[in-house]
Amino acid sequence: MSLAVSMAGITKKFGSLTALDSVSLNVQAGTIHAIVGENGAGKTTLMRILYGGLAADSGAIAIDGNSVQFSKSRDSIAAGVGMVSQHYAIIPELSCIQNLLVGAENGTIIDYHAAIKRATELAARMGFAFDWHAEAGTLSPAAAQKLEILKLLWRNARIMILDEPTAMLSPHDSENLFESIQKLVELGSTVILVTHRLPEVLDYCSSVTVLRGGKVVADLPVSETDGARLAELIVGEALVAAPLRTSPNLGPVVLEISSLVVVNERGNEALKSVDLKARTGEIIGIAGVDGSGQRELVQAILGTAKVKSGSVRVANLDSAATTAQRLAVGLRLVPEDRHEEGVVEEWSLEENAALGLQRLSPCAVGSTVDISARRGFAQRIADRFGTRHNGLKLPIFSLSGGNQQRFIAARALGCDPVVIIAFQPARGLDIKGSADVYAGIREAVQHGATALVISFDLDELLVYCDRVVAICNGTISVPPAGLELDRATVGKLMVGTA
Amino acid sequence: MNWRLAALCIGGVALLAVLVIVAGVSPLEAAKSLFSGTLGTPSNIAGTLRETTPLLIAGIAVFVALRAGLFNIGVEGQFLVGAMASAVIGLRFPGPGGVVLAILGGMGAGALWALPAGLIKAYRNGHEVITTIMLNTVADRFTSAMVSGPIKAPGGNTSTLPLTPSTSIPSITIAGVEISTALFFGVLATLGLAWWLRHMVSGYELEATGANRTAAKYAGIETRRVTVQAMVISGAIAGLAGSVQVLAFEHRFYAGFSPGYGFDALGVALLAASQAVALVPAALLFGVLAKGATVLQIDGIPKGITTVVLGVLILVAAAIRYRRAKAIA
Repeated sequence: MSLAVSMAGITKKFGSLTALDSVSLNVQAGTIHAIVGENGAGKTTLMRILYGGLAADSGAIAIDGNSVQFSKSRDSIAAGVGMVSQHYAIIPELSCIQNLLVGAENGTIIDYHAAIKRATELAARMGFAFDWHAEAGTLSPAAAQKLEILKLLWRNARIMILDEPTAMLSPHDSENLFESIQKLVELGSTVILVTHRLPEVLDYCSSVTVLRGGKVVADLPVSETDGARLAELIVGEALVAAPLRTSPNLGPVVLEISSLVVVNERGNEALKSVDLKARTGEIIGIAGVDGSGQRELVQAILGTAKVKSGSVRVANLDSAATTAQRLAVGLRLVPEDRHEEGVVEEWSLEENAALGLQRLSPCAVGSTVDISARRGFAQRIADRFGTRHNGLKLPIFSLSGGNQQRFIAARALGCDPVVIIAFQPARGLDIKGSADVYAGIREAVQHGATALVISFDLDELLVYCDRVVAICNGTISVPPAGLELDRATVGKLMVGTA
Repeated sequence: MNWRLAALCIGGVALLAVLVIVAGVSPLEAAKSLFSGTLGTPSNIAGTLRETTPLLIAGIAVFVALRAGLFNIGVEGQFLVGAMASAVIGLRFPGPGGVVLAILGGMGAGALWALPAGLIKAYRNGHEVITTIMLNTVADRFTSAMVSGPIKAPGGNTSTLPLTPSTSIPSITIAGVEISTALFFGVLATLGLAWWLRHMVSGYELEATGANRTAAKYAGIETRRVTVQAMVISGAIAGLAGSVQVLAFEHRFYAGFSPGYGFDALGVALLAASQAVALVPAALLFGVLAKGATVLQIDGIPKGITTVVLGVLILVAAAIRYRRAKAIA
């Protein structure tokens, strides 16, 4: 068999960070090849280089045995490489046929008659059917995915990169999608599948490449491995630093989630019957790949999600409590998306210090803002983790990302926290900064709080948490007693192969 | 204020000079008559301040909504219904007590006129620019119809009866310049607004909603409620501007009541950018240009020229705001 794709010695650095370190990838023509790894392992970077969206610092790429050099994605399309990214590039206001054509029109004046004829042929070959004049916004996620695949066929792609194609699909739609993918392969295409879901790899792929920390750690036929070994390869066996925990002094339950079902914006169940109890004195890690329901869990605890059934009780509040009431009893958040959810960028540090605490002491006295106390509070939280700034009156966007993170982590811990929800609290921080923030969380927990730490980085959680549960596909799985910090156990749970 | 505002003012004057030359008049001559016509004599100053008053109060209305992230184009319509309600109430209840009732009625009418836009924005995410533009048209037709029929005074004009002299907001005379007390109220309201935004938790929450809706929601702020409240407050203040126009200056309501104060107020608020106190000089600048337009007309310079200058000022101010927003994003 011939090689459809051959990437050799690909290295890519972003500043001081080595995203890819001499990575090689060989994909046999006419197969489905999986690429797996944790977030930040380099999967997407590698695919972007193959697709021409990013230039490698060094290394060589050959497509069908011909050496190529892509400087933009148009070149890669010409060579027959196409990619469907995780977030579909469908323009909802345009019709299906217009979406199919966009960027690859069949002439200056579009011949819709000819276009629909060819599109229908391509669709029939795959067993798809489309109402070509319908608005693409009306398509289901599964149909949108199919349209994306047709877009690649329209552009004569023979090598197709699918990035997390089932991330937004139901299990049934996922099965259908893989039938289509197998059909693609029968028709002569080569498919590279980037995924977090190991069952997909085991059921449908012929070979798999495992990336970790920008390096290839394994490259093997799927027949020679199994889910447990893959999970182990993905999370790695890096040394776990000595844990900081002492035997936790557990207190009352201050966060109780029961049978929680949450519906996301698309109307899918993002959380399916989640149960979790958190006591004061413990740090609970929630491990899982991106998009497993973490976002909806945070929103449900905060009181901004669409709860279909079940309950979330923060401290002694009932589950109908407003966000403001929850914040008033000590719910604190380090949000996932700092810019969107955590700060008002053009506001000063002083003003941002009060965001979320604006009705509470020391930032407010009754219904008035206590400006001098707020300034003092801002000073304290800036000092807490060593936020480097040039004045508390300057807008917070003047700070680097890491310093903003220090500031908002300190804000969440600085005002009598009871339930701390920290979404990647050490995001963008160096080792010292991370250790400081986690030490701060530990201190708060010892003073009568509980903390839920959500991270895509299992190792980080294993180091700092008292126990780690896994979230996968909207369900939280608790490891058996005694294995709460066992990497292999949690690793399997978070990719759904246990 | 900042150097940008100063540059804008100078740029505006320069543009005016060019246009005056095009119109065939010596710019120096025009400047002289513009100055003397707006600020030269006590009565001309009074005329300028009279123009400034509704612009300032309506500017506050636009400003409040802007701080909550809402572009209330509907101030014109809210101004009209507020003015009409005040005239109707003032005619029904003459005297100082009636003035108070008329003011409250005008504010209520303006608030009610803004309420649908607030609700549609908060709960259906319908854009407030579209809804308030439509409400403006409705307000215009509605008040015209009212003053042509049910509330029309006997006789030829599409106007209400005049209010009695006791049914008015008093003015005082300082150094020969007659100034309506409403202007002082407007200045005080501006200072009060600035204080509220900075020192009250509700003001903080309003600005947070305007600056970053998602972060505000995560901070426990009921952004929908804030949106509706901001729109209603803005409408009430716009209605107040209409009330003041009736009770302090016009003493009746008539068809075509507003020469576009509600729209000029958008420019006032845009020029003030994020500083409430800057509303006062911005309104004064607009007041000078509004009064100046009539003066220049006497010299044979088309009235439209000052409108062009105002338009350019607003565009540049909006461009500066937009550029800032982009730089942050």
